[in-house]
Amino acid sequence: MADPALTLNQIKKSYRTGFKRTRSLAVDELSINVPAGQIFGLLGPNGAGKTTTIKILLGVVFPDSGGGTILGRPLGDRASHRKLGFLPEQPYFYTFLTAEKGLKLYGKFFGLDGRELADRSAELLDMVGLARGSHLTLDKYSKGMLQRFGIAQALVNDPELVILDEPSSGLDPVGQKEVRDLLVHLKDQGKTIMLSSHQLSEVENICDSVSIINRGRCVREGRLSELLDVKGLRRITVSGTDPESADQLSEIAENRKQEDGRTVFEVREEMTFRALEVVRFSGLGLVSVEPQRRRLEDLFMEAVKETSN
Amino acid sequence: MRNILTLAANVIKDAGRRKFFYIVFLFGLAVVALSPLLPSFDIGVKAQFLKDVSLSLTSIFGVILAVILSVWQIPVERDRRTVQNILSKPVSRLQYYIGKYLGILAVLAMILFVMGLEVMLLVGIRAHDFSGNIFQGVFAVFLETAVIAAFCLMLSTFLTVPINVFATILFYMLSHVKTGFLHQNLVEGVHGVARIVTWPLYYLIPNLENFNLSLQVGYGNGVTWSIMARITGYAALFAGLFCLIGYLVFRRADL
Repeated sequence: MADPALTLNQIKKSYRTGFKRTRSLAVDELSINVPAGQIFGLLGPNGAGKTTTIKILLGVVFPDSGGGTILGRPLGDRASHRKLGFLPEQPYFYTFLTAEKGLKLYGKFFGLDGRELADRSAELLDMVGLARGSHLTLDKYSKGMLQRFGIAQALVNDPELVILDEPSSGLDPVGQKEVRDLLVHLKDQGKTIMLSSHQLSEVENICDSVSIINRGRCVREGRLSELLDVKGLRRITVSGTDPESADQLSEIAENRKQEDGRTVFEVREEMTFRALEVVRFSGLGLVSVEPQRRRLEDLFMEAVKETSN
Repeated sequence: MRNILTLAANVIKDAGRRKFFYIVFLFGLAVVALSPLLPSFDIGVKAQFLKDVSLSLTSIFGVILAVILSVWQIPVERDRRTVQNILSKPVSRLQYYIGKYLGILAVLAMILFVMGLEVMLLVGIRAHDFSGNIFQGVFAVFLETAVIAAFCLMLSTFLTVPINVFATILFYMLSHVKTGFLHQNLVEGVHGVARIVTWPLYYLIPNLENFNLSLQVGYGNGVTWSIMARITGYAALFAGLFCLIGYLVFRRADL
């Protein structure tokens, strides 16, 4: 198994707040393991500790205890930042710069210069659809355009690991789809992507593994396919009408429901072949057989409710 | 070094777009240009008087601009969180801090150079004195603003902007009365345990009067290079000390 691109071990972080300077725990013994070459989703409700976790990874905030690694180097080691790309949640850029100059500024921090930097900037601006607006200062940009610029600046150094805080924030549906496609494209290039998002459908579509955190603690983690898989259940979808066979299947199945004009039978794993035999000799058409999966939204709500009570 | 220079260049670009900054700068130029209208101008030696007054005014406006430039740099970047994105790149906090400070110094140097040129032209046209020793005085003003900027930037790592402005003004005033009022009250007039407390305080405050060369430049025969070297070292010592303290605070700050 490949080395993890990023690890956090037993991270604890508290802030002093209010007049009495009482300590408020933001991250509580959080451990995360992001496998290399995957798209990893960091999920959690508002105030769960996602942004603090990302700040700790970037060395902007210091943990009270615990440690971790980025690309094999300890947290805080600036050398790992050479291979790191970061998209902040809000458009935190120098808005007096044009997109082109902004990219050049950030590119210089990675040792890029001259023709190489100019070509890289032009390529990225074209990729995020800002080539035509590259001469405008960033304060003239809409939120969606700033988000696109943010993605471009996060990729200026062709990073191995990309950390994205709400990458689809402010983008229209077309922009959201483009970002999803871009992330998958980056993964295909062997890069590791960690994204924090509230858009669970986006995460469900593209992430390989997730960590759900609440009140600073990790409450669910693992490969998405395993987390969403309902153990021991298969989902058989059929089309057409054959009441007798359908009744036979209902006797075998744990559950039966109609979805988009088709009938879905949820059967126990060991009953799958028996159910398929019934379908085979019936007037029903077999559409699909797949593991029974939950929606990420359901898993998320369950995990958050469990730990909020 | 490259990261430091990139950050410093960005400070210059940022200063170049701030209207308030231009207003203060142009107002300073105008006040210096209008100094010959002062009633005492026609009494006695015009060139010396012009140099003295113009350098004093340049110093005041230089200090104001140093405070304006330094007081916002880090707090604004913290509030807007642009600092987070910068530090996510391979930029260390030390590079960030020094880059900011060098950027401020570069802007101050450019402004004071323009003001120095104006004073030289003014003295030349109005008093037919084209000697370049005015730039010795302007350089001393630059050194003073460098110390003020370092102090203000240091405070900006842990104080709010209004409190920082107040503290820097207080520091400026105390630093100009160090050898007189402050010496009498912190050293001569204090004994025993109190003196142990006040002594370090006294020596932590630089004597900014060292950078006031308006009399030597105006009424004397200029300033020797050894004095220039001494005040440069003095400024470097205090600016370095304040930068070091500021960096040590900034190094462990949650941003």
